Amino acid sequence: MADKNYYTIDPEGKLTCLKCKCKLEKGRAKFLYLDNGFPVELPVCPKCGFVYVPEELALGKVLSVEKALEDK
Amino acid sequence: MEIGKTTSVCPVCLARIPARKVVGADGNIYLEKRCWDHGPFRTLIWEGDLESYLAWGASDVPGSVIPVGAGAVERGCPYDCGLCQSHERDGCCVLLELTNRCNLRCPVCFASAGEQAPRDLSLEEIGKQYDLLLSRGGPFNIQLSGGEPTMRDDLDAIIALGKEKGFSFFQLNTNGLRLAREPGYAAHLARAGVSTVFLQFDGLEDHIYRTLRGADLTQVKLDAIQACREAGLPVVLVPTVAPGVNDQALGDILRFALSQAPHVRGVHIQPISYFGRCGLEAPEKRLTIPGILRRIEEQTGGLMKYADFGGGGAESPYCSFHASYLHRENGSLKALPRRKSQCCCTKSSEARDYVAQQWSGRVSGSDGDPDTASLDAFLQQVVENTFTVSGMVFQDADNLDLDRLRRCYICEVDSQYGMVPFCAYNLTDRKGRALYRKS
Repeated sequence: MADKNYYTIDPEGKLTCLKCKCKLEKGRAKFLYLDNGFPVELPVCPKCGFVYVPEELALGKVLSVEKALEDK
Repeated sequence: MEIGKTTSVCPVCLARIPARKVVGADGNIYLEKRCWDHGPFRTLIWEGDLESYLAWGASDVPGSVIPVGAGAVERGCPYDCGLCQSHERDGCCVLLELTNRCNLRCPVCFASAGEQAPRDLSLEEIGKQYDLLLSRGGPFNIQLSGGEPTMRDDLDAIIALGKEKGFSFFQLNTNGLRLAREPGYAAHLARAGVSTVFLQFDGLEDHIYRTLRGADLTQVKLDAIQACREAGLPVVLVPTVAPGVNDQALGDILRFALSQAPHVRGVHIQPISYFGRCGLEAPEKRLTIPGILRRIEEQTGGLMKYADFGGGGAESPYCSFHASYLHRENGSLKALPRRKSQCCCTKSSEARDYVAQQWSGRVSGSDGDPDTASLDAFLQQVVENTFTVSGMVFQDADNLDLDRLRRCYICEVDSQYGMVPFCAYNLTDRKGRALYRKS
């Protein structure tokens, strides 16, 4: 089964929400993990609120924070 | 009850002999061996039951790496060190013994410093040792050691030469006397590029230093730490722990170290080994990993717990222990997940590199860079407030387990032999005669 897509990237690097067909805009979002909240600004769909988390961020800083917070 | 076999040496003649690990009548784990010439020997290796012994090694990954440039096996372990092809780990931390001079005359000294004619390695010899390390898989982390390395006035040139050749981490193993007494010396070392000061620190009471170091040194240690703080030199406190001398001082040492964090990055505990010059008799009940961890838990009132600690990942788990904590502003500690392959000299640098690497990933695009300042701040806090407690249980002729020795990645560099695992280099028989270290 093919991966499900939630967004498209045009040749200029602009992100579009696949569901709403809206251009993503930089907006406020919050990572919540184990009672800790981290407000961030990321590309967000102005209509449905879909937040685009770049892979580098998810596998980089976010993963590092998770590892630091996790109990053994 | 026998639980495993290994190979060791006779403590009298250093002949290689078979050994077995057994559960004793008291439930603890012992190493038993017999030399046909010198009789039977029995040494406590684990102050705990079989279940705890096996659990400690449960996540162990057997060694399988043949070191770069390893020599042929001729006489077999531990007689072909330098390293040989039966060794199972690359080097990681390498000690350069820059001088055999010392400004103390410790009753306990693995290097027996001060007993030979004074000799410093020349810069040329040091350059050759750097080159040797590069040909053997380096650059490795360098421990500037001795003797007392600060007896030399050219540490800056030694570090500059190492940097020129591609080495980047220089840990200074020192008793702290010169740091404490010479104004500006700590700043000089910081400018020279010392990464961390590994400060011999056996406690906060003078009677401890009198026994282990032959002098009252508490104030010297405090002054050395202060000098390093002012110079921005990170410090790791390194207690040599001897039963009946300072095994009840671990709680004091750990609490003191925490009070000095984040400048003091952690504590690296070395239970005493009975090799080199050691004025203390090996007791019936040696300090082993569970014994140390139980003392830590008792003496810190549970602030640090046995369960927070794990064994080493690269070396044999039975050689080391470590735990990392997040030191919160209210003084409480949170144990961090155990990481594998954490060695004694990479605490701060490893964390720094790790985070630097994570921070370098940025997303570009016309939607603008994501603003992740809160994640950055948290990660920064983790780096600055991570406090590490670790330790290494060196082996002597009584408890030497050659399976452990073949996993060692802490080496002494020697112009004649090459890279020799620390416990092989410092191995001495009952009369103090060494296999490798020159007398």
